[in-house]
Amino acid sequence: MDLHFSEADREFRARAREWLTANVPTAHRPAHGPQAAQFDRDWQRKMYDHGWAGVAWPKDFGGLGLSGLQQVIWYEELARARAPHYINTTYISLMHAGPTVIARGTDEQKAFHLPRILSGESLWCQGFSEPNAGSDLASLRTRGVIDGDHIVVTGSKMWTTDAQHADYQELLIRTDPASERHKGLTWVICDMKAPGIDIKPIRTMLQDEHVNMVFYDEVRIPISNVVGEVGKGWSTALATLSFERGLGFIGDQLELYERVCRAIDLAETVRMEDGRRAIEDDGIAQRLASIKADTIAIRSMTLADIAETDRTGEPGPKGSMMKLMVTSTHKALSEVVGEILGWSFLEFDGDRTAHPWTYDYLWSWIFSISGGTNEIQREITADRILELPRGR
Amino acid sequence: MYLAPEGDEIEIANAAAEFLADAMPIERLHGHDPADLNSSLLKLLGDMGWFALAVPEAAGGSGLSAVEHALFFRECGRQCAPVDLLAQCLAANVIADAERRAAVISGQVGVALMVSDGEVWRIFGAGEAEYALFVSPDEARLYSLAGTVSELRPALDPANSIRLLTELPAPVETLAGNRAWQLGQLGTAAMLVGLAEASLDLIVEYAKVRETFGRKIGSWQAVRHPCADMAVRVEAARSELWYAATALKEGRSDAEVHLDAAKHLANQAAHANADTSIQLHGGIGVTDEHNAHLHLKHAMLLSRLFGSKRSLLARLLNARLED
Repeated sequence: MDLHFSEADREFRARAREWLTANVPTAHRPAHGPQAAQFDRDWQRKMYDHGWAGVAWPKDFGGLGLSGLQQVIWYEELARARAPHYINTTYISLMHAGPTVIARGTDEQKAFHLPRILSGESLWCQGFSEPNAGSDLASLRTRGVIDGDHIVVTGSKMWTTDAQHADYQELLIRTDPASERHKGLTWVICDMKAPGIDIKPIRTMLQDEHVNMVFYDEVRIPISNVVGEVGKGWSTALATLSFERGLGFIGDQLELYERVCRAIDLAETVRMEDGRRAIEDDGIAQRLASIKADTIAIRSMTLADIAETDRTGEPGPKGSMMKLMVTSTHKALSEVVGEILGWSFLEFDGDRTAHPWTYDYLWSWIFSISGGTNEIQREITADRILELPRGR
Repeated sequence: MYLAPEGDEIEIANAAAEFLADAMPIERLHGHDPADLNSSLLKLLGDMGWFALAVPEAAGGSGLSAVEHALFFRECGRQCAPVDLLAQCLAANVIADAERRAAVISGQVGVALMVSDGEVWRIFGAGEAEYALFVSPDEARLYSLAGTVSELRPALDPANSIRLLTELPAPVETLAGNRAWQLGQLGTAAMLVGLAEASLDLIVEYAKVRETFGRKIGSWQAVRHPCADMAVRVEAARSELWYAATALKEGRSDAEVHLDAAKHLANQAAHANADTSIQLHGGIGVTDEHNAHLHLKHAMLLSRLFGSKRSLLARLLNARLED
C-alpha cells in the first residue's frame, strides 16, 4: 500500500489548478431553459479549446487519456475551484454516449460524433427507461421495425433528462417483436430533430423540468446509426451503464468532503433561536463530524477502487456499494444543513445557485433513485459481491 | 497510490490468519477459562515475533510498519483476540528500557491494558501480567503490577477479564509522544474492521443454507438488503483503515485525522454489523453457543478504547485533510 502521487500526477494537479483558477466562469449558471444548456455548451467549449475536454476519453479519440487517479485529481480541482457542476446537460454525451461510441461504434460514427461531443456542439440524452420499464429495464417495449435501411420506431421513453436540449439520444428499443427480456434489443443513435418525436416535460419536486417523456410516432432512423449489432443492444447498453457505475459519480464522491467543510463553516456563523451558534449544539456538531468522517472514508474508497481499476484495467464490481454510501451521506448532510438553516431552508424557487442546500436536499432523492435505485444497488451488491442466492 | 494489501503484505496477513485460527480461535470463548493471554500464548506469540512487527530492527523488532500492524490486528479482530495482545504490542513499540523491551517482545512477561474513567483504574488482561500500560494521546505510562491489589469484576466480553485497581503505583516508565496512541487507534480500528467482516461473513454463510417458507433466507430482500448495507459499512471502514495505516507509515501530516476517521468508521461498522447479524440470524443469534453475540460484546469493548465516539467526533469536526 502507498499514497504516493507520481511526479506527473502532481504536475498535472498544479496545471489543472492554475487553469481552473483563471478560467472557471464567474457568472451564475441559469437554472432553466435553453440558456442553461448554452452555459454548459460554452463552458465545455472553453475546456475543449484549452485542451481540458474528455478527461476520461482515450487520446486516440481526442480525450486526455487520464489514468483513474488523474481523473480523481481533476474532479478534486473542479470542486476546489467551484467550477460548474459536472452533472449538467453535457453529462450523458461525455459520460455515456461518447464512451459507448468509442467502445462499440463504427469509424463513421466515431468521426462524426466524438469531436462534436467534446466541443459541446452536440448534447445527448438517454432513452432507456420507459413508463413500464425502470428498474426492470429489460421489460422495455418501444419497438423498432426494420424497413429497408431504416428502423421505424414507435413507443415512449421516460425520465429522459434534458431531452429538450439534446441533439441526439442513445435509444434502446426492441427490434425483434418475438423477443423477450434482454434479447432482441438494439442500441441506436436517434436524431432528436427527426419528425415524429414529441417531448413532454415532467415537472419534478425540484420545481424544474429537466426530465421528460419522449414519444415516438414512426420515427425513421437509419440502420447505420445502430451502435453494436441489431438485436445485441443489451450488450451495448451494459457497456453504457458500466461507464456510469465506474467513474460516473466520482465528482460527487470527492466533492462531498468540501461540502461538509462548508456546512461546518456555515454552522460556525448561523445562530439558532436560543442565540447560540449552530456549531455549539452537540447534536449538530456530532452529526457534522460523523458525516465528515464518512466523506473522508468515501474519498479513501474512491482512491482504493480507482487504484485497483488502474492496475487491472477493468472497473470492479464495487460501484453499487459506492453509490449506496455516497447517496446516504449526501442525504444525511442535506438534512443536518436543513436544521442549521432553519426557516431560510424553506425558501426555494428551483434555482440551484441561489438555494444550493435546499436544492441538494431535494436532489438527494434524484440521486438515490436515478441510475439504478438504491434498492437495485443493494440487489447488485447481494448478487455480485456477497453471492447470496437469488430470489428472482 | 495503492490501497489494498499486496505482495508481502498479503503473505503476512495470511500467516497471521492461519496462526490465529490455530492459536486463539474464536471458539475458545465458549469455554469457561479466562481468555486473556496466558503464559503459553504469550510465549508462542513472542516466538513468532507478532508483538514487534512495527518495532525497528535495531530495537529488536521486525522493522515493518503500521501497515503490517494493521493487517495483523484485523485478523486478531476476526478471532476476538484479547486486548492485552494489543497492550503487549504497544509496549513493545514504546518501552525505552532495552532489557524490559526484549522481555515484552519475546513474551517472557505480560502487559495488560489499563484504562481510566477519572476515578477508577480498570485493567483488561491476565491476572499474572507483570505490567499494565496506560495510553493517552500524548503519552504512555507503564506500571508494574507487582504487589498491587486488584478486584476481579464480571466481564461482559469474555475475551478479557476486568479488574479494578484501587491504588495506582508510580509508573516504571513514562513515555512522551503519540506513537502508542496512534498504533493503539490503528490496532483497535483494525480489530473492529475484522469484527465487522466476521459478522458479515457469519450471516452471509447462514443466509446461503438456512431456509424459511421453502426458500433460502438469502433470497429474501428483507435479508439481502441489510446484508448489502453491512458490506458497504465494511468497504468504507476497511478503505479508511488502509488509508490511515499508510498515512501513518508514510508520516503524513493528516495521519491523525485519518486515524480518527478510521476508528470512528470502524466503531460504527463493527457495532452495526454485529447488531444486524444477530437480528438476521433469528433465534439462534441470541444463543450463547453462537458466535454472533461475541462480535457485539467485543465491539462494545473496542469501540470504547483509543477514542470513544464523542472524543473522536470532537477532534474530527475541525480537522483538515492534506491535499
